[in-house]
Amino acid sequence: MRTLTEDQVEIGSSLPELSIELTPTAIVSTALATMDFTPVHHDVEGARAQGSKDIFLNILTTMGLVERYVTDWAGPEALVRGINVKLGVPAYAGDTLTFTGTVVGREAGEFTVEVRGRVSLGDHASGTVRFALPE
Amino acid sequence: MSSLSGRTAVAGIGATEFSKKSGRSELRLAAEAVHAALDDAGLSPADVDGMVTYTQDANQEIAVAREVGIGDLSFFSRVHYGGGAACGTVLHAAMAVATGVAGTVVCYRAFNERSGRRFGQPDARLGGEPSSQGLEMSWHVPYGLMTPAAWVAMFARRYMHAYGATSEDFGRVAVAMRRHAATNPAAWFHGRPITLEEHQASRWIVEPLHLLDCCQESDGAVALVVTSAERARDLRRSPAVIRAAAQGSGAGQMMMTSYYRDDMTGLPEMGVVGRRLWEQAGLGPSDVQAAILYDHFTPFVLTQLEELGFCGRGEARDYVAGGGIEIDGRLPVNPHGGQLGEAYIHGMNGIAEAVRQIRGTSVNQVRDVRNVLVTAGTGVPTSGLVLSAG
Amino acid sequence: MTLITDPTLHDRLMALAERQAAAGEVRGPAAADPVNVPMIRHWADAMGDANPLYTDAEAAAASVHGGIVAPPAMIQVWTMPGVNRRAGQRPTPVDEVLAMLDGNGYTGVVATNCEQTYHRYLRPGERPVPATRFAGLTGPKRTALGEGYFVTWNVTWYCEEEPVAEMLFRVLKFRPRTGRAASGTQDGRAREQEAGARRDSGAGEGPAGARPDSGAEEAPAGARPPYPLRPAVNEDTAFFWEGAARGELRIQKCADCGQLRHPPGPMCPSCRSAARTYAVASGQGEVYSYVVHHHPPVPGRQAPFVVAVVELPEGVRIVGNVVDCPPSEVGIGMPLRVTYRQMDDELVLPMWIPRES
Repeated sequence: MRTLTEDQVEIGSSLPELSIELTPTAIVSTALATMDFTPVHHDVEGARAQGSKDIFLNILTTMGLVERYVTDWAGPEALVRGINVKLGVPAYAGDTLTFTGTVVGREAGEFTVEVRGRVSLGDHASGTVRFALPE
Repeated sequence: MSSLSGRTAVAGIGATEFSKKSGRSELRLAAEAVHAALDDAGLSPADVDGMVTYTQDANQEIAVAREVGIGDLSFFSRVHYGGGAACGTVLHAAMAVATGVAGTVVCYRAFNERSGRRFGQPDARLGGEPSSQGLEMSWHVPYGLMTPAAWVAMFARRYMHAYGATSEDFGRVAVAMRRHAATNPAAWFHGRPITLEEHQASRWIVEPLHLLDCCQESDGAVALVVTSAERARDLRRSPAVIRAAAQGSGAGQMMMTSYYRDDMTGLPEMGVVGRRLWEQAGLGPSDVQAAILYDHFTPFVLTQLEELGFCGRGEARDYVAGGGIEIDGRLPVNPHGGQLGEAYIHGMNGIAEAVRQIRGTSVNQVRDVRNVLVTAGTGVPTSGLVLSAG
Repeated sequence: MTLITDPTLHDRLMALAERQAAAGEVRGPAAADPVNVPMIRHWADAMGDANPLYTDAEAAAASVHGGIVAPPAMIQVWTMPGVNRRAGQRPTPVDEVLAMLDGNGYTGVVATNCEQTYHRYLRPGERPVPATRFAGLTGPKRTALGEGYFVTWNVTWYCEEEPVAEMLFRVLKFRPRTGRAASGTQDGRAREQEAGARRDSGAGEGPAGARPDSGAEEAPAGARPPYPLRPAVNEDTAFFWEGAARGELRIQKCADCGQLRHPPGPMCPSCRSAARTYAVASGQGEVYSYVVHHHPPVPGRQAPFVVAVVELPEGVRIVGNVVDCPPSEVGIGMPLRVTYRQMDDELVLPMWIPRES
């Protein structure tokens, strides 16, 4: 895996799309891996009893997937400085989460990528990731 | 009226190491520096009966006294306005000693400014409450004008416009400080000089200031022992006599944002300090062999040279050209490397260097030093000292 | 669900919010386990993140990090409370505000923003400590979910005394619409339960696990997050901010000697009069000095941005942003005219745009 160099990143260029199948296993394994044991993220009965149609992705995982989406593209040595996410509709088990992204800025060695993660209900997460590339 | 001049002296200096992460509490740093200063003076904690620090210091005088084993205190005082307090602590100590309120006073400043709360980071609470300072900040913070670099940059831009100064003129200050630090083993930037090209290539922090126009952030502590000049002469070290000490604030003064009063090209509060120092000392700019000028940001070093009378208005860029403020220049400024090169201890490390220059013990010793001028934080109500041999 | 709205509720909420904000940062317990490779491996595996620097010691040693590092987005994971919520844990400054909202019918909760800044990467063996600071309460606002309040807090994670990461977290606490009760009291109860879960999780470092519990609901519309850089306002300065909200640039004027003054204050320095009025400025000005802010990041602002000291023909100076103009085109002497920007539901700031001279 190679890390991009600064001159390989062009403002306005798009990141390759990434689709993630939100299987129940994906929802549950990520909830547990992020130490989030709230029932709506692993207990279908419990989630339904609360009015949700199924278990859904937790926020710590949303943050993790947004980060992964950018570093998958930028490379392992990209230094992630910050992630700002506006949270939208829930990402339920059975849905597909599709990330798209565009490089929107470069400021003193720090790049900004705008990221959108969409599910069938609409935008699940939208925001920006800031990162630097090693010199 | 009897003058303060010559009646008191700095008899001891002490410091911790300067780092980015002390790994110790601020109180412990304070206690270590005070012990070091007392040892340097050849005094014991029992000799101390007064203490002065900054209002911003997190260590109460009584807490430091407890840790160090200092007993009864008859004088304790705090000086306000950030780094503008530095020389003010010595002024307060000197006044206490000269008037007999105290016999031996310790001044100290201790913080984990890099690993703890960093002054350079934006703090949304600055404009938070309707105190006079909160209201003052509220004319600036909502617009994102909320870091010391930004506050100073606003003055720097106007100064450049008025006098045709350039970023390279500011850069020469940084180059000089880093040159001095490079040969000072106590300096964070020991062995790491910079070139003007590196200064110019460093990233923007707040235009017109580059990264290398801004001083570093440090963890550490410095303490000073002030006693009567008479007593100091009997102690272990040769005294640095306090020839003059002054505080100053100007009309229409604000904290870092005095944008509303004059043409924004000077530091009137430093003018107040300078006039009082020269008058009290009976000296002028040509009588000091070295100067410690507060250097949290390079542009205000130029302004200080002008306010203190080393050169005329707008002429500081010529004064610093060709190594003018370097160790072998016409006025060696901050031989220790200043806060840009040695450490940012809110100006207290500069006073310690002035004492070493008077003693003749600095690692970057200037020849034949008799008088040294010291200044404190700029852009805020400030203070200054003239220390002399004897 | 019938709720009697307590007319003093809003004031009590705001007073509580002010107290909680004043409480400053409250530290929580340190991470139960230090940063460790097994948890990182488990996380990376579940996320499908194949970055070798998180788990492969050899690859990591050869990288810019010189050794294994934790994924930055794991920061919150280290200080999650675990399955059996820690009893007797010190409450964060956020808990009481959420509890008061719950107790007054604002039982629904939906997270709206999560913003994390990573100062550096963590390494195995480090043990971050979270510190939570209550950052703000705004409302009541009408949203697609119902009337609600936005609650914002910050968490800073420290290693030793060094801040290593920060998070801003915002939720909407809303009063579920009574019309929806028909579709099931279950709905309301569900929200309450979820709100309860939120609270148990310890506000700052816990999972803000709550999401809209009905997929049909959209994120709240039309509500702006509170602008983080608010001015302090008192009786000496309120006229200025009220003016800005109405699109007037008001300059204090001494009612006795007529002197204009900015920034304003309670007593005329020229004639001692405390009688004040104001003049509405023409709205023209020119750049007296300016800066372009790049670093460090400023909350609520996108760098680079321009701040200027603007000189008004009325004879006073005022600080403001120059907008709708590339920073490289700003210069001293540039003619400007005032404009107004709505920063959130309450605050309007006067700003400046280039004017043809």
